[in-house]
Amino acid sequence: MDIVLRGIFVFFALYVLMRVIGRRELSKLEPFDLILLIILGDAVQQGLTQDDYSLTGAMLAIVTIAVLQIAVSFLNFRFPRLRPVLNGEPVVIVQDGKPIDRNLRRERLTLDDLAESARLQGIGSLDDVAWGVLETSGEISFIKKSA
Amino acid sequence: MAAIPDRISLPRHRDLEGRGGGIFWRRAMVAFLAFFVIVGLANVFGQHPSDTTVTANGVSLQLHAPNALRGGLLYEASFTIHTRRALAHPTLVFSKGWPIVHTINTLEPSPVDETSRDGEIALGLGPLRAGSTYTLFGEFQVNPTSVGWWPGDVWLYDGSKRLLHIDRTIVVFP
Repeated sequence: MDIVLRGIFVFFALYVLMRVIGRRELSKLEPFDLILLIILGDAVQQGLTQDDYSLTGAMLAIVTIAVLQIAVSFLNFRFPRLRPVLNGEPVVIVQDGKPIDRNLRRERLTLDDLAESARLQGIGSLDDVAWGVLETSGEISFIKKSA
Repeated sequence: MAAIPDRISLPRHRDLEGRGGGIFWRRAMVAFLAFFVIVGLANVFGQHPSDTTVTANGVSLQLHAPNALRGGLLYEASFTIHTRRALAHPTLVFSKGWPIVHTINTLEPSPVDETSRDGEIALGLGPLRAGSTYTLFGEFQVNPTSVGWWPGDVWLYDGSKRLLHIDRTIVVFP
């Protein structure tokens, strides 16, 4: 029972933490971010199963988290009103080649971040962008101006 | 100008109308996380040891141990007795909370005898001369299943006479 309760607590604590950290930080995995994720995983594991080395304990932890993930996914699908809370919403950050400063600030994005994302998608100048949208996944999607 | 992307609403997704609450909650959660870290630094969640000393009738007992613990922690506690008079049968008595909360890995120096006194653990230390100091070191590990508040009292007896009492509660966080 203890592991299931710990699993539930850890799942929701991580869910809230990930929503607070911000989508952008989570979408880009630079070397240091990767190391942080590994440390986070290790720290969580210690609290989740503690000194339980059993297969039963591991399965309890894994299945608890999987069930909760499915439940959250179902809520997200079934109740559209919950989506903004559970999943977030897209934010328009570029319109007609012009960055929207207020929205960039809100998402802690700099113009350099924006230009980098554009370059990664083969766009050399924001002037060529009709719409730039920060998606709920943390990725930035660009829609080019029509020729 | 390209058409607005499907399912993007400019008032909602560009002007962020009706989304003021989101930023409030995010800031509130960040503040909560910062508070959590500060509370941790303030030793509310334990591990950092503190000293508790009681003195009476020329005898003092000092306990050096953390009051708040977390499941699985390994730590050392020490119990130091200073006495200005001879004690023929000094005995340290630990309340039931100690063995419930901890796996006791070792006690050094080993007590002369161990008994149960009304359900509490009583450790006979052997005679102490006047002016002597005796320190008992204990190596403990916190049982992860003992979450909650437990009595952590310690008594010093000389034979059947109670000399000192440390009134203490041990808190174990999950």
